[in-house]
Amino acid sequence: MRLTLFIIIISFSTAFSQTDWVKWEKAEYSYEKPNEYRHRAYSFEADNAGELVVKSIGNAYWFFISDLDGDNCPFRPSCSSFLIQSAKETNLLQGTLMFFDRFTRDMNIYKGHDHYPHLKKGYYYDPIALYTLDEDGIEYIPPSVIVKD
Amino acid sequence: MRALFILMLLIPFLHFSQTGEFNFHSPKNIKDFANHLFCEKDYMRANLEYEKLENIVDDTLNFKIGLGYLYIGDYSNSIQKLSVIASVSVFFDEAKLQELKTYFLTENYTAFRSFYLESYSNKNNSYQSKGKKLFNFSYLFTDDDLPTSEKFLNPFNKGEKEKITSFYNWKNEPPNKNPVLAGIMSAIIPGSGKMYVGEWGDGIMALVTTGLFAFLAYDNFRADHNTRAWIFTGLGAFFYAGNVYGSVAAAQIYNAKIAFEFEDGLNLYLEQKNYFTPEYNFCE
Repeated sequence: MRLTLFIIIISFSTAFSQTDWVKWEKAEYSYEKPNEYRHRAYSFEADNAGELVVKSIGNAYWFFISDLDGDNCPFRPSCSSFLIQSAKETNLLQGTLMFFDRFTRDMNIYKGHDHYPHLKKGYYYDPIALYTLDEDGIEYIPPSVIVKD
Repeated sequence: MRALFILMLLIPFLHFSQTGEFNFHSPKNIKDFANHLFCEKDYMRANLEYEKLENIVDDTLNFKIGLGYLYIGDYSNSIQKLSVIASVSVFFDEAKLQELKTYFLTENYTAFRSFYLESYSNKNNSYQSKGKKLFNFSYLFTDDDLPTSEKFLNPFNKGEKEKITSFYNWKNEPPNKNPVLAGIMSAIIPGSGKMYVGEWGDGIMALVTTGLFAFLAYDNFRADHNTRAWIFTGLGAFFYAGNVYGSVAAAQIYNAKIAFEFEDGLNLYLEQKNYFTPEYNFCE
């Protein structure tokens, strides 16, 4: 009885033992940073001419510059998405003004951590609704809050 | 040896086995268990147990069920339970005060005020002053016209008056920034509107960018590089206009921020004061 038990234990450990070739096998690891642009909505769908212009500019920027340059915008939505979304929600002129304001804020390197709420991935959350000049649409979120993606 | 061990193991089971005579579901046992759950702050389960005793008319139970619902944020059930407490009960005034608190927590201030006026006016309620405090406090949460300072502060005691006065003054004259003024300031000196609302970094950045493009435009016009000059002029103009627009938006966000912080302060104060209601201890 004892001998049988002993043999079973030994045979299991032998059968499933770790072999050197498994142990020292080359690890497949990628150091590439996952790119969000792969999921970008490249389309020309627009409700009006203004939105079509902005969408075309956005698509061109993504294709020729942003996708090659990498994910560098600290904000979400990113500045280019901000332009497209703000033009969609307001109009071409107001959307453009909102974009230039955002771009100026983006260039200010001295703020962020104590000013904007964060997303889980660390981006500053800066939604369009805050800047449409509709006071009732402003939902203030303190910077200490981590916003769900 | 083995047989002895099995025997020893079985004897306690047989000896202490559960008999059918013990009634777990007797009203007394249900109440004891519910009381235990209530003291453990498991209000939801406590209420489930208390409600099994629905045939028993007991104002203490109804009051505890009402409190339980209040603590777990089920305000409609809380109001329903507290409102059935008889006027002859020792808990009647307490229940009215808790009901008032519940109405307050629903944030339906119209219903809250009508309940207060219905239950507290011209009636000899022992919690008249506490109810009045909460009633006055509700004005700080709404955009309704505030009562005069004297009338507003009257129910509060000496220790509370200082803090309540600061809330009152804030509500009366909130330290808002004027969005139009912010826009005009940025139109005159780029970035100054942002600085006015406390966004110094953004303001300086706006001044630098607008100034830089203005200089580049000027310099290129002077050097007869008209195409480049017009490009810089266009970009500068957009940065300038965007900054004026952004200053207005920044003032609005600033106002939303201080309103948020004010309301946060009010809620914190109310929680510290337990909404001017007494604390109950049914567990000692």
